[in-house]
Amino acid sequence: MTVTLRRVVASEWTKLSGLRGPAAIVVATVVVSGLLTYAAANASSVDPGFDPIDSLTAGLVLAQVGPLILGVLVGTGEFGSGTYRATFTAVPRRLPVLAAQTLVTAAVALVTALLAVGAAVVALLPPAASRGIALDLTSDGTPQVLVGMVAFLVGLALLGLGVGALLRRPVPSVVAVVAVALVLPIALVLAADAGTDPMAGAAGSTSLQDTVNTVVTLLPSGAGALLATPPGTGGVEGAPDLGPWGGGLVLLAWILVPLAAAAARLRGRDLTGSR
Amino acid sequence: MISVTALTKRYGPTTAVDGLTFTAPSGAVTGFLGPNGAGKSTTMRMIVGLERPTSGTATVDGRPYAELAAPLRTVGVMLDVRSAHPGRTAFRHLLAQARTHGIPRSRVDEVIALTGLEAVAHRRAGTFSLGMGQRLGIAGALLGDPGTLILDEPVNGLDPDGVLWVRDLVRRLAAEGRTVLLSSHLMHELALCADRVVVIGQGRLLADATVPELVDGTEGGSLEEAYLQLTAGAVQYRGGDVR
Repeated sequence: MTVTLRRVVASEWTKLSGLRGPAAIVVATVVVSGLLTYAAANASSVDPGFDPIDSLTAGLVLAQVGPLILGVLVGTGEFGSGTYRATFTAVPRRLPVLAAQTLVTAAVALVTALLAVGAAVVALLPPAASRGIALDLTSDGTPQVLVGMVAFLVGLALLGLGVGALLRRPVPSVVAVVAVALVLPIALVLAADAGTDPMAGAAGSTSLQDTVNTVVTLLPSGAGALLATPPGTGGVEGAPDLGPWGGGLVLLAWILVPLAAAAARLRGRDLTGSR
Repeated sequence: MISVTALTKRYGPTTAVDGLTFTAPSGAVTGFLGPNGAGKSTTMRMIVGLERPTSGTATVDGRPYAELAAPLRTVGVMLDVRSAHPGRTAFRHLLAQARTHGIPRSRVDEVIALTGLEAVAHRRAGTFSLGMGQRLGIAGALLGDPGTLILDEPVNGLDPDGVLWVRDLVRRLAAEGRTVLLSSHLMHELALCADRVVVIGQGRLLADATVPELVDGTEGGSLEEAYLQLTAGAVQYRGGDVR
């Protein structure tokens, strides 16, 4: 009856599935994804050139918050409550706990993402039907967009986990991930717009605009946008078009850096609660 | 058996534990005494690997805690009442601990029965009183049926029934040949259940003796008197005289 990674995974699953918060997040993410996608498609359905597939990713902007917070909850759950004492006296090598949390979070996020993307597809049906358009999910790179959306949502859950496990406190962790994933890209674009003279025209605004666009592309949301865009059509003006694989690698870096930092902190330091 | 050898812990300029050496033998209850801030909890946390010693070693049955392949089967630990996530039921909390070692669900039910938590096992730990939290902590310590128990202030917050129960439990565990290290600042409590006492103050060892040895050497003839004389120079927080 020794400690094995498989057993630590079973333990982490027992912990996660016994809480109300994560279940509520899964439901909320799926509902938000469906509703927002429906609202966007419905609004566009009056346009002459309406293509329901164009609205497929419209729900992601808010649906991404769910996986982020799910990850933060798992990452900070030990330290906010004192459970870390029970957990790390049972698994004194410590790192298997973080590995198990990564696996369990990825699994729950994958199910959530599949349901959320499914809800987004279903949400396109009524607006498409209202214009007599049959939804085609098999052409124009749409399969890759669907896979990219799922990968993006799972990736954000793992980013949340890494930041939560690193910072150990829920509120700063949520603020950090929401700032990086949601606020920063919008703030940067707005700042660049404000700093650019609209009368100078396209030619005069290049350098600042390009820098901002490049930075935005390298943020998690930019990487996610690349993941969920057909190849050859992605990328923002002035920023390198990394393609879906490039976007995937950028997102992977956003996952691995906080997770590695969390692992280093977990392994090397004293364990104390956040309160 | 727990062996602590020249154990030292510094946090920056503060020395919490200072060259502490003692053993807690098997088959006995070792009381761990000291004023608030003396380093009792820090020492216990180092024994079970939650904190790294600055220098020195702590071993259980001759091995550092972190090297144990099945720690819960060797050492049962209760360090703090609030060791369960407030949103998780007592049963789930214990089951999650048990699963790390492949301990069967039936053992979880056993320790719930043993600690008298049946009626509240499926309530969320956030709703627990201090006494119920203590029982849950003790249930977790007993999960792996360990040969060594480390209990930090286990009677804190318990009602008289609960205090009596803990006293009988630790006596019984020691009589079965197990090692019990139990911290408290309740002298009369330790006088009733400890075979030997390790007294520390400001992180240093002040006494390591059996209860009769300690009491015989003092004028007042009680463990409390012996303790107060020992720690007279080591108390950091003491109220003024009541006028």
